[in-house]
Amino acid sequence: MVESMDPPKSASVATQNQAAIQPVLETRALGVRADGRELLRGINLSIAPRQVFGIIGPSGAGKSTLLKCLNRLVELTPGLRVSGDVRFHEQSIYASNVDVDALRARIGMLFQQPVVFPKSILQNVIFGTRHLGRVPRKEWAAVAERALGEAALWDEVKDRLHESALRLSVGQQQRLCLARTLAVDPEVILMDEPTSALDPKSTESIEALIFQLKQKRAVILVTHNLGQARRVTDSLACIVVRDGAGQVVECGPSQEVFRRRDGPNETVEDFGFCSSTQRR
Amino acid sequence: MRKVKHLVFKSAAGACAALACGVLAMIALAIAWRGLPALSWQFFTEQIRLVGAAGGIFYNLIGTFILIGTALLVSAPMAVGLALGHGVYLRGHRHQDKLTLLLYLLNGVPSILFGLFGLIVFVKFLGLGKTWLAGGILLGMLILPTVTVALVERMTSLPARYIEAAAGLGLTQSQIIWSVIFPQSLGGLFTGSLLGLARAAGETAPIMFTATIFAGATFPTAIKESPVLSLPYHIFVLAQDSFDPSVGAKLWGTALTLLGLVFLLSLLALPLRLKIHEEAHHG
Repeated sequence: MVESMDPPKSASVATQNQAAIQPVLETRALGVRADGRELLRGINLSIAPRQVFGIIGPSGAGKSTLLKCLNRLVELTPGLRVSGDVRFHEQSIYASNVDVDALRARIGMLFQQPVVFPKSILQNVIFGTRHLGRVPRKEWAAVAERALGEAALWDEVKDRLHESALRLSVGQQQRLCLARTLAVDPEVILMDEPTSALDPKSTESIEALIFQLKQKRAVILVTHNLGQARRVTDSLACIVVRDGAGQVVECGPSQEVFRRRDGPNETVEDFGFCSSTQRR
Repeated sequence: MRKVKHLVFKSAAGACAALACGVLAMIALAIAWRGLPALSWQFFTEQIRLVGAAGGIFYNLIGTFILIGTALLVSAPMAVGLALGHGVYLRGHRHQDKLTLLLYLLNGVPSILFGLFGLIVFVKFLGLGKTWLAGGILLGMLILPTVTVALVERMTSLPARYIEAAAGLGLTQSQIIWSVIFPQSLGGLFTGSLLGLARAAGETAPIMFTATIFAGATFPTAIKESPVLSLPYHIFVLAQDSFDPSVGAKLWGTALTLLGLVFLLSLLALPLRLKIHEEAHHG
């Protein structure tokens, strides 16, 4: 299964030739309303395969909501209405015949706070796999090893797979959550400020992992941290609140976005194009 | 001025708390004072003799355990269904409040009405006669709101991120229910059941016409027409006869036993509750 997903040799030039490559995920005039209040308006993004797509912007601009629209997790929050469209491999994910659960297995998500279940490490890793029923039981151990290896956690936990996952450090828990997502083998991974709860060392390891991940998958990374955006993203979109709703004000290859708007500070709030935002 | 106000309120609240604790302590002490001399190994292992004036309460204990055991078996699955309906399927739906109201109404139904209902429906209409099953079902209905509310509270306190994380992996709603929501709410089912059973153990009204008799029953042998003895009904009958000192001793002994059973069930629920709070803070 993994072998078939090996990237072609041209993967490294993917970002240079974005226009020529089919986007894996695309939003068209995407908007979100909550009880009459507009949260997001007119979001048009195109995410190429095997790249890290960064989304930056101040708190409250709707970055997390946007991310949750991309695998319809937004529907778990009552009262939110989505307009426009999100297309995954050219197919609308909001069409009535879409199997939402299957979609979410293909577009995985990593949250700001690691969410481990009160079970053993092994149980956590195969949590998605065992329920999806695509992998026979006797291969679960192999899946767990592969996923933990991919999340750079295997060496740390291989001798205590049956211990409670709650006993891991927060940084390890976050990598465990990543392993759990990877075990399901998604094509796209959504990351909602995955390092904001972590110490610098764990942050570094997650960033290193993101580099590895984009060899095979697209990663969409919401981040607060401009340094991180600069280090790991290939493309970048900046979302700020304009006229009462979160909108994309800047989008393109990361280097260009940074060249256009470079400043000495490393926080979004001080970054030139975000200074006019309405802050709550 | 503010200090004075603060002091007044503080002492008023303290006095109320002391009064409540005092009443509880007085009841417990009064019952223990008179009941303790009656307690002995024989009291728990012998059956009733001489119309309650001699012997023990073995079959009353057995009968009460059978009744509350049945109540548990009846209420637990129904509570799980109701709580899932309330917390998952009706989440954010306009009928959710109606279900809550219904549960509180059910909780407010006087227990004697449960007894009458059981007499009309189970004993007469369904022709079960006086039997442990009718009493167990009625007690199960009586404690259903307690168990359900405890379970619902536990479900609502489950952080949404667990559900999001499971949904993000592609689990279906029913898979999320059985692998995330239900296992993590199980503590609510335990505490709710224990508190409910503590209440059911002491109820007399629902079982006096439907399930329990004063003497002459041992282990139930059938479903129909198979009544049991019970602790609260024993107290009820003996209390009407308590001018006889030997009956009085047995009465207080039975009362102390019932009180102990209820305290035990409530105390068992306490560590579970504390553990749950701890988990909620940790998670």
